[in-house]
Amino acid sequence: MNMPGGSNCSRRDTINRMPASIGKWALSLTLILSGLVFISWSPGTQAADELNCVLCHKYRGLSRIDEQGNFRLFYINEDLFKKGPHKRIQCKDCHRDIEKIPHDPAKKVDCTVQCHLIEPSGEEKFSHKPVAEILSKSVHGKLNEDGDEKELAEDFPHCTSCHDQPLYRPLSFFKGHEAGISERGLSRCKTCHRTGDFAEDFYAHVTSRLQKLRVSKEIAGICAKCHGDEEFQERHGLQGNVVASYWETFHGKAAYFGSEDTPDCIDCHVVYGESVHSIESKDSPTSATNPKNVAQTCRSSECHSRAGENIAGYQVHVDYDDPEKYPLQSYMLTFFKFLMAAVLYFFVILIFLELLRRLFPKFSFIKQPEAASKTPPGNQ
Amino acid sequence: MQKYPKIAIRNGKRYFFRFSLVQRVQHIILFTTVITLALTGFPLRYYDQPWAKPLYEFFGGIEVAPYIHRITGLILLALFLFHTGYWIYLFFKNRVGKLIREKRVTAGNLVKEFLSQEMIPNGKDGRDMVNMFKYLLYFTNRPPRYDRISWKEKFDYFAPYWGIPILGPAGLALWYRDEVSHFLPGIVLNAFYIMHTDEALLAALFLFFVHWYNVHYAPEKFPLGTVFLTGYLPEADMIHEHYDEYLQTMKEEGLEHEIKPQHH
Repeated sequence: MNMPGGSNCSRRDTINRMPASIGKWALSLTLILSGLVFISWSPGTQAADELNCVLCHKYRGLSRIDEQGNFRLFYINEDLFKKGPHKRIQCKDCHRDIEKIPHDPAKKVDCTVQCHLIEPSGEEKFSHKPVAEILSKSVHGKLNEDGDEKELAEDFPHCTSCHDQPLYRPLSFFKGHEAGISERGLSRCKTCHRTGDFAEDFYAHVTSRLQKLRVSKEIAGICAKCHGDEEFQERHGLQGNVVASYWETFHGKAAYFGSEDTPDCIDCHVVYGESVHSIESKDSPTSATNPKNVAQTCRSSECHSRAGENIAGYQVHVDYDDPEKYPLQSYMLTFFKFLMAAVLYFFVILIFLELLRRLFPKFSFIKQPEAASKTPPGNQ
Repeated sequence: MQKYPKIAIRNGKRYFFRFSLVQRVQHIILFTTVITLALTGFPLRYYDQPWAKPLYEFFGGIEVAPYIHRITGLILLALFLFHTGYWIYLFFKNRVGKLIREKRVTAGNLVKEFLSQEMIPNGKDGRDMVNMFKYLLYFTNRPPRYDRISWKEKFDYFAPYWGIPILGPAGLALWYRDEVSHFLPGIVLNAFYIMHTDEALLAALFLFFVHWYNVHYAPEKFPLGTVFLTGYLPEADMIHEHYDEYLQTMKEEGLEHEIKPQHH
């Protein structure tokens, strides 16, 4: 492996990070398996895992309950890892506090550090810092305009709040599509870029950014982690459950049924063409959802391009139980509710009585002569 | 137009004419489109119910089902327009024509003729309804004697005939929301959204519960009354459901001596 790895690259220890209860079992297994791994080891299958972390982390049950009582899963799906964006990064590039093996509980990863990869268009080491800077200026940033921490700063998202790694999911279905690199697409690169590694790495990097990696339903699910939480709404003085109201729109329903064309939260809340990390409050004049900009947002070229200015008046996040804010919807629903109740109760009672009447067809409190049946009454 | 005999005899039994072929075909188009619209519409309304997704997938899922829904909706709207033209045609042919021939064309007579059409609710319907409840509550042993169209059948008729002009334009506006937003305020789309889905629910519950009770579930009809296919109603049902019309038809056909009583 020719990774720019620093001084730790030569270490071949296994990294152990398991709870005591299964530690012994895992340790003995580790010893047996490490023997097997040394026999079958080949550079091609190990990707950037020079420290052989996956030797332990490949077990699907590798997990524990942490101090906060949360279930933590430490499993890494090696197949997915090798196809993922971080496949050339070593574990220790991000998990920097791990110095010995077996290791102590690792600290949270800081995504803004420079990793050992050289960014190919320049000579600098790569970092996600520019993304963090965009995020910090958005409505989701932890700091206010004066640079002070906002209230409830711990509620504001960090990278992994939205970017969960599919690597840690034990049995994930990759949206029903074949994961990874298209061999056909790759063959075009390989015509000139004859060393396969280069073509594969950059093809994967570029195409992963051109593909829609998450379907709309999944994006809404990510935002729902906070914005679908009633307590969170209350804590931050937000208006209503915007995720629930999204599901009630045609957009939401189409997304729910797996449409990939339908807009999710990001499509309307991010200014067309800007980074998704730059979401602003609707009060900001440059926000995509500022009342002045809504029509423009709806009309962005792929969606309602032919719509008029009035499309901005369509209310997306409607709380049907709030007559003060949404009087029209609320009164219409009440009207239909009463109409439906009146019509259906009337006929349910009618049918019920009709069935009861069949039990005693001849009975009546007041008997009227049958004879009248031969001549029609003068009722016209 | 084909002339239908008022009474047809099949296997020694009397059948009474009710619906012409044009009417029966309209009804078949009506119920196939309404059922298709319900099946491709309600999975969206109840998207989070376990049956919604499989049912929607059956109609091709989100990529296909919306188009089935829209095309079916267009067919139903076309049927509505045809039917409106149809009764206006019949009105002019049978009633206005008569007034012209008799030289009695006045506004008052036109209104009178309009209101006396068989589908328009009238005073007898109100009296029949009161009588029906008297009968059902055992206060009389004589059920109401309905004419050609009973008040229950008028309900059945107006459920779709008032429902379509509400549902259809709302559906069209939601379909062509971009164009609509040039001349109507955006919140109208919110209103159309509710109108479309809630009126649909009312129509579906009424048709699949009340109307289907009348023609499918009711003990004497189960599993189905055949009049919607043949256009002719068996004598027993005619006596049960349209006794006044039965008496009149029997008299007109010179069968006065064979009239059966309302009760057996």
